[in-house]
Amino acid sequence: MRLPYRAVLWAAVVLPLSFLPGVGGAQPPASVDGIAIDPEAELVVALTADTTNLDPRLGMGSIRSNYIRQVFESLVDVDRDGKPVPGLAVSWKPVDDLTWEFGLRRNVTFHDGEPFNADTVLFNLDRMFRRNLDKLGIKDVPAGTSFEKVYPFVSRWEKVDDHTVRVHTTEPAPTLWDFLGREPLVPRAWTIKHGVEALNEKPVGTGPWKLVEWKRKDHMRFERHDGYWGTPPLTKRLRLQVIPEAAARLAALRAGQVHLVEAVPPLDAEVLGRDAAVRVVSSVQKLACRIYLNGRTKDKYDSGGRDGAFVDPRVRLALNYAVNRDAIIKKIFHGLALPNASPVATVSYGHAPQAPYPYDPAQARALLAEAGWKATPRGLVNAGGEALTLQLLLPAKHYGQAFDETVTAVVEMLKAVGVQVTVQTLDFGSLLQTLTKGTLPPNGGFAACRTSNNLDGDDYVRDWASTTLVNWTPYPPELLGLYQATRRQVDAKKRLAALADLQRQVRDWAPVVSLYQEKKAYAHSPRVLRFTPTQELNMDFRGVALKR
Amino acid sequence: MRAFLLRRLVHAVFVVWGVVTVVFFLVRLTGDPAALLVDQTATREEVARTRQLLGLDRPLYAQYLDFLGAAPRGDFGLSIRERRPAMRMVLEHFWPATAQLAFAAIVLATVLPIPLGVVAATHRDGVVDHASRLGSLFLQSMPSFWLGLMLILLFAVALGGLLPAYGRGTLSHLILPALTLAAAPLAQNVRLIRAGMLEVLQHDYVRTARAKGLAERRVVYRHALKNAAVPFLTVSGLSLGFMLSGTIVIETVFSWPGMGRLIVQAVPGRDFPVIQAAVFLFAVLFVAVNLVVDLLQGLLDPRVRVFEGAA
Repeated sequence: MRLPYRAVLWAAVVLPLSFLPGVGGAQPPASVDGIAIDPEAELVVALTADTTNLDPRLGMGSIRSNYIRQVFESLVDVDRDGKPVPGLAVSWKPVDDLTWEFGLRRNVTFHDGEPFNADTVLFNLDRMFRRNLDKLGIKDVPAGTSFEKVYPFVSRWEKVDDHTVRVHTTEPAPTLWDFLGREPLVPRAWTIKHGVEALNEKPVGTGPWKLVEWKRKDHMRFERHDGYWGTPPLTKRLRLQVIPEAAARLAALRAGQVHLVEAVPPLDAEVLGRDAAVRVVSSVQKLACRIYLNGRTKDKYDSGGRDGAFVDPRVRLALNYAVNRDAIIKKIFHGLALPNASPVATVSYGHAPQAPYPYDPAQARALLAEAGWKATPRGLVNAGGEALTLQLLLPAKHYGQAFDETVTAVVEMLKAVGVQVTVQTLDFGSLLQTLTKGTLPPNGGFAACRTSNNLDGDDYVRDWASTTLVNWTPYPPELLGLYQATRRQVDAKKRLAALADLQRQVRDWAPVVSLYQEKKAYAHSPRVLRFTPTQELNMDFRGVALKR
Repeated sequence: MRAFLLRRLVHAVFVVWGVVTVVFFLVRLTGDPAALLVDQTATREEVARTRQLLGLDRPLYAQYLDFLGAAPRGDFGLSIRERRPAMRMVLEHFWPATAQLAFAAIVLATVLPIPLGVVAATHRDGVVDHASRLGSLFLQSMPSFWLGLMLILLFAVALGGLLPAYGRGTLSHLILPALTLAAAPLAQNVRLIRAGMLEVLQHDYVRTARAKGLAERRVVYRHALKNAAVPFLTVSGLSLGFMLSGTIVIETVFSWPGMGRLIVQAVPGRDFPVIQAAVFLFAVLFVAVNLVVDLLQGLLDPRVRVFEGAA
């Protein structure tokens, strides 16, 4: 049966104009928006940290993405509104139930002149799925995402011609364009010749910026790639300067020693917003911060024979009602966050807004009572006389001060409805180790944030489908069935409807205590023109200019 | 003297071996880096696969024997996070960035206290003495990260960019981080020299020197300071450890791309090879400087040589 693929044409972008040679090689304009710019200038951007590597296979977290995506590009690009647009692929479409086809951009070269073509894509797919590595003579690396495990239904890939690649699956995969298309692509011949280790030294990509110098833990310096196919950079050079301390970053901006800084703390953003010499901009990020609760049954973890204390969804829902998000967002984030009751980030494709969890301690207590937790002088106890306790693991200083303050405030809110909470601070690595070993106590929980490198909301709702590090409340059979239906539904409208239904049910089933979704603030000098923060993990400096 | 030196060298080798061995096991007690390298949505099998790729699934004794075999050649393995040779990374960050910063701070913390401490002692309870004691108290009490930020706000912002707020490159980049790093040991050394001088100036031989009609400057700097400097020298050697550990904070505040910043990332990231290589280098430096201090002490105070020779 042929599926109605016309309905998924939102993803099947075909832009014949994109086949034409790009604007590569064109000289940058002398002015933008009627303002004279300095095309020979160096744009200096202060970041919080240096990347530890530049090989996309090692991972694409928020720090790495900022560096990697200046040099490397993916098949699918993103516009300022977070919508997919042609990148190294000019089109992507399903050709039947089990096959996707990518049409590749022509006349694109890597910075060393190596042509980008179907062989490049096949090579990168081989690396992603750990196939043919011996044949290619390259090493395997400890990858952030094991594609062969996460997407085992991707069976093979083939070159149709030099600019067309097909990917075959064993089951319908409506989001394949996203999870494969967003991976940055490295050059084939260059990588085979120099080895995968060289990707962490001075790699070449197809991106708008050529890496010219990397002084580790200090700065990375780029030059404009004059042969770039897309919107060209409007400054000759770009320097990503590492300044870990927020106060030092802002001091450097005010002293005129950098042009743009990222990760402005909420309180500073509010103060700087009143300063005429500085511009503050912000964008909603995909970072969703939550408290995860042990809702696993005893057979799903190292339990000592006990179910998790938060198996009952009414208890988890009650804890959501106990949290005053508006106060947190106003007092701690100064408006630089938003509540989101959906499991999917508000800026992800397929997000369906959900009714906010109200701040209603009375209803929280009522729900807890309904779940069998009676209020007594020694707190909430069940029929067996056992108190409702939460042993919360907090990876302090990992997600920032505002996160730590939020968790501290939430602990008091939970105590106010009768939950006895103890907090254990630990480093992030120790938290992950506990989760890997599966030794979270039955009354355990942990505070953490979840982000995504993909555009589609599937990446978020996948969290509860299999036993992963962060999944401590696996889907019950009916929700798992609904989730799997969204994974196989290729009709876009039907899929969106199913995804919305799943989000509604997940909202009520409440696998986590939803805290907030972050907005990231940036500050820049008035010399910086046309800087718009993206909703992705990276900053995009294409089209950004410096006033002369 | 040769036997003394040989004994100290053998001693140094054992100290360095002991330190790196303790660190080898200690860092592994803190946990496993594999989970930090995979997505949070990874399964236990994916984490296990990463452990296997890193060689962390092998028995601990086998890992240790490999380490012992390779470390003397300077091979500490590949950084878990950067996939580059760990010792090369450490040396890249140590030289010249951390070496430059530490050297500048050591010079400030050892040269400046001598005149300050001597003047404070010779003008006891005078204005200079009170000012020096107050200043020392202030510098020792200030947390270095706070002092650093205040200096940045003053010199880079309030004074219109007089000095750079971050990074390294020119001499002007070095001034603020070196001053901040030197502040606490400098203050301590001023107090130490002052106290030493106050004690020595009471001794009979100083009174004799004065009675002989020697110029006061000669009495103070030639006779008294030489003896007062022995504890100062010992503490200066030990303060090298403080300097090296102090760079961790200072390099972060001033965005100084040295070893401190490398360690700041390596420890929470559980980058075992980098931590081991860095600790090895720190241990060698610390032992070497203290060996030099021991030798200098012998030159300054013959009693040390006599004692060591008798031992």
